[in-house]
Amino acid sequence: MDETLEKTEGGEKRGSAPEDVKILAFLCNWCSYAGADLAGVSRLQYPPNVVDIRVMCTGTISPYYVLKAFQEGIDGVLIAGCHIGDCHYDKGNYMTAKRFRVLKDILAAAGIDPRRIRLEWVSAAEGAKFQDVITSFTEQVRAAGPSPLAPKRGK
Amino acid sequence: MKEELQEALREALESGKARAAVVFTERDGELVPRLVTSPDDPALDSIYEGDRRYPTASFAMMVLPLIDGKLALPVRECDRRMLVELDKYNQVDPDRLLLVGVPCSQEVADACGCAHPSPPEEITVVGPLAEPAEASPLPEAVAEDPAERLAFWMDSFSKCIRCMGCRNICPMCFCEECALDDPDLVGADSKPPEIPIFHLIRAFDMADRCIDCGMCESICPAEIPLRQLYRLARASVKDAFGYEPGLDAGELSPLGELGTPADLGGMDEGFRSG
Repeated sequence: MDETLEKTEGGEKRGSAPEDVKILAFLCNWCSYAGADLAGVSRLQYPPNVVDIRVMCTGTISPYYVLKAFQEGIDGVLIAGCHIGDCHYDKGNYMTAKRFRVLKDILAAAGIDPRRIRLEWVSAAEGAKFQDVITSFTEQVRAAGPSPLAPKRGK
Repeated sequence: MKEELQEALREALESGKARAAVVFTERDGELVPRLVTSPDDPALDSIYEGDRRYPTASFAMMVLPLIDGKLALPVRECDRRMLVELDKYNQVDPDRLLLVGVPCSQEVADACGCAHPSPPEEITVVGPLAEPAEASPLPEAVAEDPAERLAFWMDSFSKCIRCMGCRNICPMCFCEECALDDPDLVGADSKPPEIPIFHLIRAFDMADRCIDCGMCESICPAEIPLRQLYRLARASVKDAFGYEPGLDAGELSPLGELGTPADLGGMDEGFRSG
């Protein structure tokens, strides 16, 4: 993961400091990835702590993937997809919403801070919203601190 | 109760209502299911009468493809609710089952913390009914503080030896391919599993299926409070969607259907916390 962050190093110091939080973002191909793209071409600045994974639909995201991310020590997981009603596959994000509802409760029951997960609907026209989401979510995960499941940093 | 059950099974075989019947007997201290096809089978005379449980629904799933016609099956109420749930996943055909309800004794119902110990009136019931027991409370160690909660579960999960007993005894775990066999998810199978993912994967899958029979917890050699974990997962599904597995045969799991925006468990605006 360090490597990925380094590769995206841009003008300012990209690749968060080793002690800063790392966030995994699942972005849907049709809306949120395009929203992220719009944020990029609009030169909107947001924290560099996020690694994106583009998926065809948030409905394809198995809860196992989110659990796996936490297992590997990620500090926060963001899922962003089309607004309800705008899904490219009609109702794929319905499944995301329902699974997320149960997953967040299971994580909370197991003692993983719900501040570490977020579900957002970001359309392809919402570059500014994407910036806001990443900025506020990074702040929120920073407030939660490094994941208790993370291997000790600096290895 | 024993005589009533014998009578019910004999009658089912004699009248031809059922092609075969399942009889539980005891051998070398183990509960052994037998398939009998004749009302004169001596196994019917040595029917087990006691408090021990067996994953009857799994046995029915295994036997049904091997026989023609109906199977007479003695079931506890938890077994019956499993069969209701398995029908929703097309794993058993309820029309091929002739259920004989065997009510649990009050002692067993209380020990299990069972909310539904008595079979419904629709099926033949042998023996006296028990009152619903109060559910046992969550273990005290599962505290308000998330860090303490995580510590409690990690301590429990760290005892797991990956015997797969919880999965293998569970009739609801019928998938041919299992995420818990995937080394990418839970680690190579020569080692103890990665935690907490191993147990949380199962918790997620149990959230809309588990009927709270508690066999997983009773078989776990590491005494992990699995039933409590799955209860928390079930509570989420009940809270969000008002759905409880095993109760209504006509109602499918909300996680298995697309539904409408009103069914999204309050997530139609996304989820932010903190």
